[in-house]
Amino acid sequence: MPTVRLRSAAEYPAAAQKLFALSRAWFNHDFAEPPAMSRVMAWDPGFGGPHGRAMKRAMGPGEFTRGEKEMVAAVVSGVNACEY
Amino acid sequence: MTGDAIWYEAAQVVGITNALNVAADGLGALGPVDEAAAPPEARALLAEIRAFYDGGVGPPGFRLIAHDPAYAAEVWAAARHAYGDNGLARRFKEALAFAVSVTTRSASGASFHLSEMRRLGVGERGVMEIVGVTQMFSSYTKIADTLQLEPDMGGIAPVDPTPAPGGPAE
Repeated sequence: MPTVRLRSAAEYPAAAQKLFALSRAWFNHDFAEPPAMSRVMAWDPGFGGPHGRAMKRAMGPGEFTRGEKEMVAAVVSGVNACEY
Repeated sequence: MTGDAIWYEAAQVVGITNALNVAADGLGALGPVDEAAAPPEARALLAEIRAFYDGGVGPPGFRLIAHDPAYAAEVWAAARHAYGDNGLARRFKEALAFAVSVTTRSASGASFHLSEMRRLGVGERGVMEIVGVTQMFSSYTKIADTLQLEPDMGGIAPVDPTPAPGGPAE
């Protein structure tokens, strides 16, 4: 169980709703609620904003495809023994 | 990146990379095999590894486990299979191995797989892409763990209905 109460999207301000829309577009999936990590990152835009932009820059197209980078991300998450 | 087969390949790369890094970083006290004085099977094995790596010495762990050539040969057979071109390209597998090595703080593994990435044609931009993904997901995972977030994105991946290799189709 999370150590914090994860707020529903409706409890976030209008600026965060734009982030949630970007999250839906990023994953190309219509979530009933934005993923927990998206809601965590939207909590504090001063951190979540630059962190998310760094992630998008790293994951964007380049020498490796988005799919390959998703696999690298999954591998790093697995090595870090992260269930999420 | 759909279908389970490439994920099995990725898992093999992760496993064997970690195994070789464990040897390279933890078995220094054994000392590397003295190739000139080693038995023929050990010399043949190290020559085969050099050929796979285009004249390079290969993952540093092999010179430490080659004290038991029969054991090292089996590890090499698994490693050669895991790192070779298949559903995933060898170039990308080296990127995975680099990410694993950085994440597990294996300096020897990171150095070796970085040099292999470059040898196989990955440029500085590509290297920094893998560094960026590795670093950002080392952040996301710790944030998720600290807040004990529960998985909520497993459902977006399609299920692969194909049987195991050689198995009967449904």
